[in-house]
Amino acid sequence: MAEGLVATRVTVERGRREVLRAVGFEAAHGEVSCVLGPNGAGKSTLLRALAGLLSFRGEVTLDGTPLSRLDARERARRLAFVPQRSALTASLSVRTVVSQGRYAHTGGLGRPGAADRRAVVSALSRTDVAELAHRRFDRLSAGEQRRVLLARALATEAPVILLDEPTAALDVRHALELHALLRALADDGYCVVVVLHELDAARRFTDRATLLRDGEVVTAGPSAEVVQPGPVREVYGVELLEDAALGFRLGGAS
Amino acid sequence: MSASAASPVVRRAPRGGARAAWTYAVLGVALAGVCASALLVGPGDLGDAPLREVFLELRAARLAGALMAGGALAVSGVLVQGLFRNPLASPSILGTTAGASLGGQGVLLAHGALASAGALRWLAPQMVLPLGCLVGALGSLAILLAFVRRGADLLALLLTGFALTSLFLSVGSFLTTLAQEHHELGRAVVSFTLGGVGGVGWPHVRLALPLLGFGLVAGFLWGRPLDLLLSGDEEAATLGVDVARTRRWAIVWVGVLTAAAVALGGNIAFVGLVVPHALRPFVGAEHRRLIPAAFLAGAAFLAGCDVLARLVPTRTEVPLGVVTGLIGAPLFLVLLLRSRREERDG
Repeated sequence: MAEGLVATRVTVERGRREVLRAVGFEAAHGEVSCVLGPNGAGKSTLLRALAGLLSFRGEVTLDGTPLSRLDARERARRLAFVPQRSALTASLSVRTVVSQGRYAHTGGLGRPGAADRRAVVSALSRTDVAELAHRRFDRLSAGEQRRVLLARALATEAPVILLDEPTAALDVRHALELHALLRALADDGYCVVVVLHELDAARRFTDRATLLRDGEVVTAGPSAEVVQPGPVREVYGVELLEDAALGFRLGGAS
Repeated sequence: MSASAASPVVRRAPRGGARAAWTYAVLGVALAGVCASALLVGPGDLGDAPLREVFLELRAARLAGALMAGGALAVSGVLVQGLFRNPLASPSILGTTAGASLGGQGVLLAHGALASAGALRWLAPQMVLPLGCLVGALGSLAILLAFVRRGADLLALLLTGFALTSLFLSVGSFLTTLAQEHHELGRAVVSFTLGGVGGVGWPHVRLALPLLGFGLVAGFLWGRPLDLLLSGDEEAATLGVDVARTRRWAIVWVGVLTAAAVALGGNIAFVGLVVPHALRPFVGAEHRRLIPAAFLAGAAFLAGCDVLARLVPTRTEVPLGVVTGLIGAPLFLVLLLRSRREERDG
């Protein structure tokens, strides 16, 4: 496996309770990795620990470098995080929000150069929000906001991207397009990590899966092997019915 | 969403920029009008040639004080609202102006006590006033942050600010009572406490100018990380902002600007609350656009209020804080209702 994001025995405490217990996790460049599990399993907590947003015991390395050794800007140049929803309610334009992805490159005083503008334009275009560039972020629908947040992450040009339930507020077309985009990013050498709820999407669109329950890893491996009747029954308490779900693919009139 | 490489077809859009440019132009005209009025309106006959220069000199210093205090309060309002991600925050509501005022009163009292004991007679009280205001403003912000951790809700923030304001005003009243034991000192403390720019002279302006300049330039230069903080601490951190450092310095600038304003005009409310709130629909929330606009608007607003205070036909001049409250409070309620309606209508 190519180097990427590696977590070793990560434990996160909230109060006296351990919400993650000695979790191991690996995600490589060139792959889409997902974190699965029922509500309260610790998926988002693991993602936030990987992003350096939580204090934890254990170690997380980014291409061999411990995360704790990177300062804020260096970490942002190497790892981007897309939250479930943004806390931003101020009247900023979409273009301004996406441009914030370049902060780690320009700093507070630097002026954005041609490379920064190219990165912003590319990110707007890849996430299909170029038409929204001059709209106010706080006036967009939840789905549009998700795409703008992804654009902001892409504008960082960080080779590792973490996404917390990225398809949660998207319609079926944009969800499929997002999965296609994540695949394209992985093909370009990105290390993509997503928290997902949809097991069928995990099996169809991701390469590796880590299944969590009560803050511990139940199983990890290729997605097609993890999303199997046995582990699903054990973790979710439901039966996995092969070929029972509705399936969609991109195509037809848009 | 496109999985392929991007095509650079995004137009630059002028709408936000044009609206901001118009806003700056209107503010510039308003400021010029207010400045002219402030020089021409007031007691004293400008037709009297020998006295004209004296009157103009006094009015110019007073105008400079009003412009600086109004601009400083409005910009500190922008910073504190961004810092707490809350458009209802302001230095006066959070207790910062009351803290600065208490610091100023404390310094005046300490100076008076030392002077009566024969020490520091060479040092004029107005020389140390800005320093006292600075210590008071920074101290009040430090106490506020110790009680209100990040993520605290609006009610906790406002109640803590209210409690701090009440505490500082009470202690300030006690200091004012102590100062009455010496006639001159009592007058100086009461005059400072009531607020207003009527007594501002060029020495006051010169002492407050470095504080104002430093706070303005620093706030403007740090506009980009402050913009990122509008998305919350976690998002800002993932985008490369050193959140703790940015917050720490932003607090220092709020303290510096509030200290400059209070040293010049005393405890003046509503400027820091209303001005940023009124400007955001026109120039947006970006700090580097909002700060210059807020400075111009705050300066024009306070200088305009000072002109109005002079025009009221009373035997003694109406305190400036009374005028800003009478105009600012209803204006704020209108802005609040409008923004609620916009939120409701989407």
